[in-house]
Amino acid sequence: MRELTLRPTDYYQLDELLDDDARLVRDTVRRFVDREVIPHIGGWWLRGEFPRHLPAALGELGVLGANLPVEYGAAGVNNVTYGLILQELERGDSGLRSFASVQGALVMYPIHAFGSEAQKRHWLPRLARGDAVGCFGLTEPGAGSDPGAMQTRARRRGGGWELTGTKMWITNGSLADVAVVWAKDDEGEIRGFLVERGTPGFVAHEITTKASMRASDTSELVLEGVRVDDDARLPEANGLRAPLSCLTQARYGIAWGAVGAAAACFEEALAYAGARTAFGRPIAARQLIQARLVDMLTELTKGQLLAFRLGQLKDAGRMRYTHVSLAKRNNVRMALEVARAARTILGAYGVTLEYHAMRHAANLESVDTYEGTHDIHTLVVGRDLTGLDAFQ
Amino acid sequence: MDVVVCLKQVVDPELPARDFAIDPRSRRQAREGRTLVISTYDEHALEVALRLKEQTGGKVTTLAVGPQAALGEAVRKALAMGADEALVVDEPRAPEWLGAEVAPVLAAAIRRIGPVDLVLAGCESADWVERVVAPLLAEALGAACVTFAARVEPADGGVLVRRMADDGVHHVAARLPAVVSVASDDANKPRLPKVKDIVAARRKPVTVVATADLEVDPAWRLPAPEVRGVTVPPRTGTCEMLGGEPAEQVEALVRRLRDLKLL
Ligand SMILES: Cc1cc2nc3c(=O)[nH]c(=O)nc-3n(C[C@H](O)[C@H](O)[C@H](O)COP(=O)(O)OP(=O)(O)OC[C@H]3O[C@@H](n4cnc5c(N)ncnc54)[C@H](O)[C@@H]3O)c2cc1C
Repeated sequence: MRELTLRPTDYYQLDELLDDDARLVRDTVRRFVDREVIPHIGGWWLRGEFPRHLPAALGELGVLGANLPVEYGAAGVNNVTYGLILQELERGDSGLRSFASVQGALVMYPIHAFGSEAQKRHWLPRLARGDAVGCFGLTEPGAGSDPGAMQTRARRRGGGWELTGTKMWITNGSLADVAVVWAKDDEGEIRGFLVERGTPGFVAHEITTKASMRASDTSELVLEGVRVDDDARLPEANGLRAPLSCLTQARYGIAWGAVGAAAACFEEALAYAGARTAFGRPIAARQLIQARLVDMLTELTKGQLLAFRLGQLKDAGRMRYTHVSLAKRNNVRMALEVARAARTILGAYGVTLEYHAMRHAANLESVDTYEGTHDIHTLVVGRDLTGLDAFQ
Repeated sequence: MDVVVCLKQVVDPELPARDFAIDPRSRRQAREGRTLVISTYDEHALEVALRLKEQTGGKVTTLAVGPQAALGEAVRKALAMGADEALVVDEPRAPEWLGAEVAPVLAAAIRRIGPVDLVLAGCESADWVERVVAPLLAEALGAACVTFAARVEPADGGVLVRRMADDGVHHVAARLPAVVSVASDDANKPRLPKVKDIVAARRKPVTVVATADLEVDPAWRLPAPEVRGVTVPPRTGTCEMLGGEPAEQVEALVRRLRDLKLL
């Protein structure tokens, strides 16, 4: 009997390496995204609207912070399965995946890793259910790649703290019920605080002029003498290492998510090239188009292998942050290039929001920048490789 | 209400058409290397069972006949969706069986589960579309039978069934025990399992028995049809352009569809 058609987005049959759990979870999230996201995403994106009902729906499905332990209400899946969840979410839209990454890796993770028992019991189950939304404020107007240069201050006031400063480009910022805010104390030590919505002196302003990530809420957080008790401080978070370890978790998910965005663009381009006729034949019959499709597939497949191996290392407890840098750097740039190539193949139709390539490409410009820019990760891996620090 | 749902595993109907093949020896669809899924309407039947359980309590047991090793994912999914337990009849020949062959085995397995109020199954399987399993099961179990149910509601001592028929919708009251075959409806769109439940489903009870361990009443065995030949229809396509203004085009289109007996 002749060989089966290889599924183009699983050319190397990685499915065989997944266990039943992982496949079932992946297929479930895929169905959810097909039903609940893809039919509406173009409109949400155009209107610059984050779908408010999705946090609860994602919580109900059990995907938020899914790799955290079950005792605080998370699903407790392994990291490969968690990666597949983010892959499927970003197949829908990078903004959706950003929401989940922030909620899981940048809010639930630090509360779990650095929080008090009371903070964990209070916040984690709500965040897992999507009843509460969180955001992560590290970047500032004047400090992005170099978060150690942050200006936000935490001053001791009696038994508590007073926070002052501005955070910029904060995903979920206007939606959030709780913000994880990073600030320097009087000794110059970086500390993390849980600041609740409505705390006097704390406001969020949505950034509405983005040409990227339009279905995601990105906001500025302003803190003017915001008073919080000491029990709002994450007791175990001391120094820049704490927020950076959160970013490692989030970037891990981005390395998988980017694969999903790339797969969506590749599938769309492949289908379009087979159906679109020019000069009397499907454009897929042309060598130039085939070369483009094959390059896209090759890079996508390499990205899948990278993400899968990274997941294995993480599950084995052997993943280093430099492993994550390499994968984030490669997979996001890969996805961006695949999205652009897909857009090219789609011709004029490719610039509309009826198709997905342009939206993904525009979103991926942000993903290429946030969580450590492509170039910053080059320098991180470069430093690891040479022992010479280009940041100094 | 204690409900048994019969689940058949079939080759994923959404596989690329190029991968549809017929095994010339068995005259059955080739399964090797293909993704296997729960047959479409059986998933709807499971959804009906889960909703009944939410309304009336009781237990949902899934029943599948097939090679045990291949059934893992289907059973897992059903348990993750909310079934309480699963009975698997390990039967390597089942993928080649037609409805008349599987029905007596299902009946014997249901007897083994014990007294049940309601047996649900899809109205037809995604591969053979025979539509015979539910009636045969009802006959074997001495139960009432309603087919093509869109909705099943509990009523005192029985069920009320909204049934899709050629002439419209029938509302049927059935006493229990009953066998009901389920068609798709907005009200029984299969739920997605939750991630947590997928993980937890690993701990739900799955019982495996062999066909030989079941007492299949010979009286239930009906002669199964013999399949003489199966072929894949050749794919042909022609395109006809209808000219004129939109209103004329619509008229021409309706005429053509009538000619082709599609309307
Ligand atoms: C849509 C979106 C969502 C975001 N969400 C969040 C969030 O939720 N929370 C949060 O804290 N932040 C968030 N960010 C901010 C993001 O993390 C920063 O934008 C990112 O870290 C880069 O910082 P920057 O924009 O200030 O760029 P800069 O650091 O000013 O960099 C500008 C350019 O200079 C390059 N560069 C910088 N330093 C060096 C160097 N040493 N050598 C060579 N090149 C260098 C960079 O690679 C880049 O190309 C988000 C950003 C976007 C766009």
